[in-house]
Amino acid sequence: MDNSAIKIATAPLPTRKTLKSRKNIPFQIVRFAVFNIRMLKMVTRAHR
Amino acid sequence: MARIVILGAGISGHTAALHLKRKLKNRHEIVVVSPNSNWNWIPSNIWVGVGKMSKNQVIFPLRPIYKRKGIEFRQAKATALWPEGDENSPQGAVDIVYTDPERLGDEERLTYDFLINATGPKLNFAATPGLGPDGNSLSVCTAQHAEETSKEFDKIVEALKRGERKTLVVGVGHGTCTCEGAAFEYTFNVEHELRERNVRDLAEVVYLTNEYDLGDFGVGGMQFAQRGFVTSSKMWTESLFRERNVRAILGAHVERVDPGVIYYEQLDGTKESLPFDFAMLLPPFRGADLKAFNSSGEDITSELFAPNGFLRVDADYTAKSYDSWTAEDWPKTYQSQSYENLFGIGIAFAPPHPISQPRTSPNGTLIAPAPPRTGMPSGVMGRIVAQSIADRLLSKSDAPLHKASMANMGAACIASAGASLKNGSAAAMTMYPIVPDFKRFPESGRDLKETTGEIGLGAHWTKLLLHYLFIYKAKARPLWFLIPE
Repeated sequence: MDNSAIKIATAPLPTRKTLKSRKNIPFQIVRFAVFNIRMLKMVTRAHR
Repeated sequence: MARIVILGAGISGHTAALHLKRKLKNRHEIVVVSPNSNWNWIPSNIWVGVGKMSKNQVIFPLRPIYKRKGIEFRQAKATALWPEGDENSPQGAVDIVYTDPERLGDEERLTYDFLINATGPKLNFAATPGLGPDGNSLSVCTAQHAEETSKEFDKIVEALKRGERKTLVVGVGHGTCTCEGAAFEYTFNVEHELRERNVRDLAEVVYLTNEYDLGDFGVGGMQFAQRGFVTSSKMWTESLFRERNVRAILGAHVERVDPGVIYYEQLDGTKESLPFDFAMLLPPFRGADLKAFNSSGEDITSELFAPNGFLRVDADYTAKSYDSWTAEDWPKTYQSQSYENLFGIGIAFAPPHPISQPRTSPNGTLIAPAPPRTGMPSGVMGRIVAQSIADRLLSKSDAPLHKASMANMGAACIASAGASLKNGSAAAMTMYPIVPDFKRFPESGRDLKETTGEIGLGAHWTKLLLHYLFIYKAKARPLWFLIPE
């Protein structure tokens, strides 16, 4: 029996603050920089 | 002068061609054979499929690029390999049939000194009756498919605007499909677009997948360290499905697609049907239909290729249980075990085993996500094989080969919805390594610091940035080689 509906129904929901932060431009500029630095580090490691 | 023939001009083949030309200049001949005249940045087909980008924004013609760089281009399809040559010559050769409208159907036997098989996948819609654009479902696998899907999506939106209820199903069309990440991304693009067009309330969005858990993505899921806890891609993905009110059907093998109805079997053996108004289901992949012959003309296809049509390379293909495989089984140099001047890269090489745990239903149906080989590792494979061949041509014929195992490479997967700067949202994941290595990372097989997930506008900007950056690189614009694969 597929119980995916139960799993989804009990999954944590983001708070209003989290949802807001996902669209907050200054905060997202920081996240953009962090994510890209992390990605670049990972790619550089693969290029060694 | 040696001739290097590259079969395929996708991410791995095209990357290999550009790097070879840069290294070898005009000292050796580079020939690219591809049945398509265009290069396609496939990750952005998702945006074409919801009308956020046009087809022409994700493709460009290859011929002018190759002309400018001095690379030979044959618009043709490879049909057979002669790695030992034929009765007339001991030099390796490949049979090609032209798809170029000016030479349509012409056949040629092209000799080579080195051959790179980068043919990508054959979209195996035939594995499921009724699957695909020639059947009863849609696809975003090619820019053309995505454009057609976008038109069908527009019709559904119009019907929703008239007040009709509609069911939109997105997922995979067979129990052994790969690319669940792309299906996941398209699901959330559809959901985002329905909200943007103010018709979300009358639409039911269903994600139909062969994954055992949400967040598996064919890589066995991921674990992240976040805010002092180790959390999983499963929990993170389930949360997103709850937030966006998307229904999921897991562990499904689609048996057939009739007009308006999908029939599928689940891991517990139950057989179900799902009525739909719009269904985008990805097909399973297999290798291009290449035959191989020895110099006497005997068929050696099964020696060179795995049963699924992918080229056997320097991996450990010993049959073993899922629990017994290790990261060491994965290929490092992508050189054929039988012929040292033959390489298989990108989707064309045969993975030694699945990454996600394969499962079988009580009826004996295999429901097992196949391992993904995304753009980032495919590009790296193209580059290292180009470096290996260049070293062997420019220095010593037995120069050591460059290595790039998927058990030592990371990948970023960005599922982005919307295509504008202010109005997008994306779920972005990085994982290192792609193939879990439990010796190095006993906890989860991956580095918890470098395996991450986050949702937000910033991740969407990254996807946009990669779109423009990789198209710039593929067009071999100035300093293209500084952009890492």
